[in-house]
Amino acid sequence: RCLCCVTVKMSVGFIGAGQLAHALVKGFTAAGVIATHRITASSPDTDLPTVIGLRKMGAYFTTSNKETVNKSDVLFLAVKPHIIPFVLDEIGPDIEDRHLIVSCAAGVTISSIEKKLLQYRPAPKVIRCMTNTPVVVREGATVYATGSHAEVEDGKLLEQLMGSVGYCTEVEEDLIDAVTGLSGSGPAYAFLAVDALADGGVKMGLPRRLAVRLGAQALLGAAKMLLESEQHPGQLKDNVASPGGATIHALHVMESGGFRSLLINAVEASCIRTRELQHLADQEKISPAAIKKTTLDKVLQQPGATAAGVGVRTGLNLFNSSTSKHKKN
Amino acid sequence: MSVGFIGAGQLAHALVKGFTAAGVIAANRITASSPDTDLPTVSGLQKMGVNFTTSNKEATHKSDVLFLAVKPHIIPFVLDEIGPDIEDRHLIVSCAAGVTISSIEKKLLQYRAAPKVMRCMTNTPVVVREGATVYATGSHAEVEDGKLLEQLMASVGFCTEVEEDLIDAVTGLSGSGPAYAFTALDALADGGVKMGLPRRLAVRLGAQALLGAAKMLLDSEQHPGQLKDNVCSPGGATIHALHFLESGGFRSLLINAVEASCIRTRELQFLADQEKISPAAIKKTTLDKVLQQPGVSSTSDATKSSVNLFNNRTGVKNWWLWRERGRWALVLTVRLNRSESSGQLPPVDHSSSVNNRSTSDEGQGSFT
Repeated sequence: RCLCCVTVKMSVGFIGAGQLAHALVKGFTAAGVIATHRITASSPDTDLPTVIGLRKMGAYFTTSNKETVNKSDVLFLAVKPHIIPFVLDEIGPDIEDRHLIVSCAAGVTISSIEKKLLQYRPAPKVIRCMTNTPVVVREGATVYATGSHAEVEDGKLLEQLMGSVGYCTEVEEDLIDAVTGLSGSGPAYAFLAVDALADGGVKMGLPRRLAVRLGAQALLGAAKMLLESEQHPGQLKDNVASPGGATIHALHVMESGGFRSLLINAVEASCIRTRELQHLADQEKISPAAIKKTTLDKVLQQPGATAAGVGVRTGLNLFNSSTSKHKKN
Repeated sequence: MSVGFIGAGQLAHALVKGFTAAGVIAANRITASSPDTDLPTVSGLQKMGVNFTTSNKEATHKSDVLFLAVKPHIIPFVLDEIGPDIEDRHLIVSCAAGVTISSIEKKLLQYRAAPKVMRCMTNTPVVVREGATVYATGSHAEVEDGKLLEQLMASVGFCTEVEEDLIDAVTGLSGSGPAYAFTALDALADGGVKMGLPRRLAVRLGAQALLGAAKMLLDSEQHPGQLKDNVCSPGGATIHALHFLESGGFRSLLINAVEASCIRTRELQFLADQEKISPAAIKKTTLDKVLQQPGVSSTSDATKSSVNLFNNRTGVKNWWLWRERGRWALVLTVRLNRSESSGQLPPVDHSSSVNNRSTSDEGQGSFT
């Protein structure tokens, strides 16, 4: 059965070929929501291990971001936040009406992206999303917010794509940094927890592999119970804690150590740092020291890219609209 | 092959729900029994099409695989009650935390030459078919019995055989583990709400993040630390959050929790082996219901039951509560080096009762 006929008939491109692009492509292809020959990914850096992975999955890889833009309808910006302005300057002239730009960069606002693209098109369609690594096993958590020029169908299309690799819902943009703190960083908290639980199991005599397996399985099962239940997590916890039993003894030591508070702190810290990064980006300050010269050289070697066109100046204004004087004709 | 559950509480309900969803056994081949018909789980079981009875003996007769899904301190009563009805075909699977295979075999050897006993430790997520189960086999159980149990339990999650001495550690980790996760999810949602998310969305995203991460780990050959590294971009939000967790000793709290649960399990096992139980730990109403069952005897003007739970003496019911002139009095037979002396009450330590107050085999509906 031809995968082209399954759902998404559009072409999808990724600017950036790192962990995020790799995870999304892996998820999308496993879900069969889009055929691999409709996927393009680009990066100036061909040495990344993820590049090999993408090729193996059948995605088309190129060093030219412009080529990706030309081949795509839905364009994911899967690069680090401070690279976004460079990318937008580079591909801005090639954006057409059909393009839906989806930024996955933490802390980069829709308005900052629209501001930049408005130099090139009157109504750039921009959506901002925050996802997480478990898209790679099709259990991701994704939220998105739509820009002023994106249509309802654009949101539905993104939801169809991201819904194939996990949970996906629309939110107001101002919630996205809180989501970053919770489900964006959440998997890291879980990996830490399983490592520690496995240590506990090993301390009490279990072999390591079994301890890791049981710890991860217990977390997975509990999370699934909560997702499939209408009950409060506290009620589910009560149901497991029999009077005078082993579990309530364990819960006591956790509470004594302020376990809950640590997790609230973590969500808060991640969210605050996200807002900080967003603020720094909006301030349009970036140190040239933050861009490797080698990466920059590679970008400049691309056909059609000029030093001026990608905003390489000692001046640090990334989202400054004065770059319009470098606009391609 | 028919399956029976002695006990019709949370554990029986969760396992039946999982088994029937998995299609590994038809509901009409499942029997569950309990003297208490008022439990909410009883109506749940009946709705699923399970045969419910108040007679443990009936459940035994109708089953080939018999799960003991009652609280640990009820186990000896149950074994005494059904012991005479056990046949060669029966596979007894005890799910009771802290109850050793040898203690069960010891009791059943009064009735049969080679009772087939297995011990398992599972957890609540069997109800959504993502449980974590380990089992150990008794000396008379065959390899096929282990495979049969594994087939049943694997239909509702992960299942593997272990040496029996690891089971209390497993209790501390995956037995209690879901409670650690529910606590964590409540706190994560609080964090999300603090930073502006609506509650339902925060709960949803937290649970989804945990589920996805756990699945990644199970599907990956990589170390959890490596997976954590992959999520932490330089100077980013996640590494800032992790610093807070480490500063607060997050890992240590989880190690403490696993240890505390394991130690308490061993404590409960030790108390059970010491064969001490306070009669105050059994509700009179429950005892009466058990005594009303056909085939369960009591003497004419005194109800005898021994406090020696796993006593080897044959032909005698196992603990004595004398009812005289409307009052209860306790006489214990203390077994010392295969001889007995009776009379003096040993000090009854209420804190040492195996499962403190709730004695109905369903109670509040809890596992460990």
